[in-house]
Amino acid sequence: MEKGKPLSTQAVPRETGLGTRGVTISYGGAPVVRDVSLDIPDGELTMIIGPNGCGKSTLLKGLARVLRPDLGRVLLHGRDIWSYRGRDAARHVALLPQNPIAPEGVDVRGLVRRGRYPHHTLLRQWSPDDEAAIGFALERTGLDQLAGARASELSGGQRQRAWIAMVLAQQTDLLLLDEPTTFLDIAHQYDLLELCRELHRDGKTIVAVLHDLNQAARFASHLIVMKQGRAVAQGPPAEVLTPRLVEEVFGLACDVVPDPRTSTPMVVPHPRTPAAG
Amino acid sequence: MRRGMTRTRSGVRAPSPRGFVTIGRAVAVPAARASVVVAVVTVALLVAAAVATLSLGRLGLSLADLAGALTRGAEGKQAFVLERLRGPRLVVAVGVGAALGLSGALFQTVTRNPLGSPDVIGLGAGAGAGAAAVALLLPGALPASAGALAGGAAAMVLVHASTGTGFRDPGRLIVAGIGVHAIATAFTQYVVYAVERDKATVLTAYVNGSLAARSWEHAATIWIVLLAVVPLVALASRRLGVSELGDELAAGLGAEPRSTRAVAVTLSVVLSAGAVAVAGPVAFIALTAPQIARRLTGGPGPHLTLAALVGALLLTLADLAAQQSPIPGNLPVGVYTLAVGGLYLGYLLTREWRKGSL
Repeated sequence: MEKGKPLSTQAVPRETGLGTRGVTISYGGAPVVRDVSLDIPDGELTMIIGPNGCGKSTLLKGLARVLRPDLGRVLLHGRDIWSYRGRDAARHVALLPQNPIAPEGVDVRGLVRRGRYPHHTLLRQWSPDDEAAIGFALERTGLDQLAGARASELSGGQRQRAWIAMVLAQQTDLLLLDEPTTFLDIAHQYDLLELCRELHRDGKTIVAVLHDLNQAARFASHLIVMKQGRAVAQGPPAEVLTPRLVEEVFGLACDVVPDPRTSTPMVVPHPRTPAAG
Repeated sequence: MRRGMTRTRSGVRAPSPRGFVTIGRAVAVPAARASVVVAVVTVALLVAAAVATLSLGRLGLSLADLAGALTRGAEGKQAFVLERLRGPRLVVAVGVGAALGLSGALFQTVTRNPLGSPDVIGLGAGAGAGAAAVALLLPGALPASAGALAGGAAAMVLVHASTGTGFRDPGRLIVAGIGVHAIATAFTQYVVYAVERDKATVLTAYVNGSLAARSWEHAATIWIVLLAVVPLVALASRRLGVSELGDELAAGLGAEPRSTRAVAVTLSVVLSAGAVAVAGPVAFIALTAPQIARRLTGGPGPHLTLAALVGALLLTLADLAAQQSPIPGNLPVGVYTLAVGGLYLGYLLTREWRKGSL
């Protein structure tokens, strides 16, 4: 899979972005991410795909300064991300984890406001930019009418957009999303992915862990494929997503055909014949 | 959004923020209106309960005498009641109640569960055992507060180790806490029987908590603990608020949830130990005060200030009841809080069980 030219399809990495150098991260004793070196391309909508347990969420948490690597370094603007204070790193990189908890009784605006945490200090827990940042985040996610609603009263799709609004209010260049579509029904999944694309067009650099290959191929401008803790391929979906790669990484025999709507690669699994079963 | 942005960009003064107390441009601290109203009402009730404590009953000062004694100084019997009998006891009750309320709010925020409270999971009982051990087995060697601190800390280390998952899983936390609570109480009873054999009052002081015969020394102890710990709690409060969002999100916001938790648990243990050292393990103030504060405001936590104020009010009221009750023999205040708080604990257990979190 793209061996020998792992970074060939990608622009020369810029000093300003986020990347890893030989990163190994363990979870409960066993290494889950092994010796990964890559750069998150600036201004792209990157999606990380791979089978369950391949370490894609762990890599994302490593990039977000949530899990500390055992070996190697995560670089932010050319510096080890752990050499930043937590709040300083959080002004550059925002993470939306899989299971955020809405505090009891909080309303949407209050939830979004919590994204402003890294911009505040103990004595100055309000800044003039807050209203603009919160207003922008609510408007961008279409929640301005629901700003006063309790978070517990929102539908699944609305709640996920509220969390996106919270990380938007953080006003970072980089947005990391850990399986943002997991608990949504299919229409809301596409809503959310369209929202990601709009934010990408606004100029955000986005990295999302995604399960669905066809969704990833349709929305990503850059793919990272992981298998057993290693990044085995990366580049534009049209170049990366081949029948051979899907077979090798996911163990699934398939054709890859152009999506009839968008011409992006679309994975069509082969039916399993009785003889093969 | 555009409008808001151009306004601040073009330098026009942004509107003063709602829900914040500001001092110039440097200071803006959140103070939601509901919380301020509840705090003012709680303080007013606390003052009323304090006046009642000093003026009710056979020995109480009339309101006129009380006003006179407070402005011009008291003499004779009034001085005895005010300066020896009820004054220090009242000051201890307010301090201990505030410390327990704050201690409970810290622990409940860390465990994200109302049952993750010092009095449910054995922190109070452990501190009581430590205080009893030091006071009775090694009289004079160490202050009771040192024993309470060591006992409380040991109890929390035991609970933390025996759950296998730290303080995260409420079900395991409660089971482990009940075990440690029972061991600590049994140890206290052993120590008391070994040393004091027939003195029921000594036992209740270390098992139930009592405010009888408190001195100004007791008052000084708890208020020094409060004065030392409250600023540290204030420093941690912002991170505590963010840690309610879950560890990963808090870490992503730069709030360092692990160290925040360690700091909050340590401060909670110190507050509980201080309270137990002067009043014994008074039950259920730490459990109920933060929950009452949360329900009164209806907003998201951690409600640290309010929990302290409500705790002070609850214990002052409970002690007022203990002093004025017609039950002969002056039941210690801990028996009252145990009886009322036990009902609330039962309610909470049922609710959590229905929610499926136990």
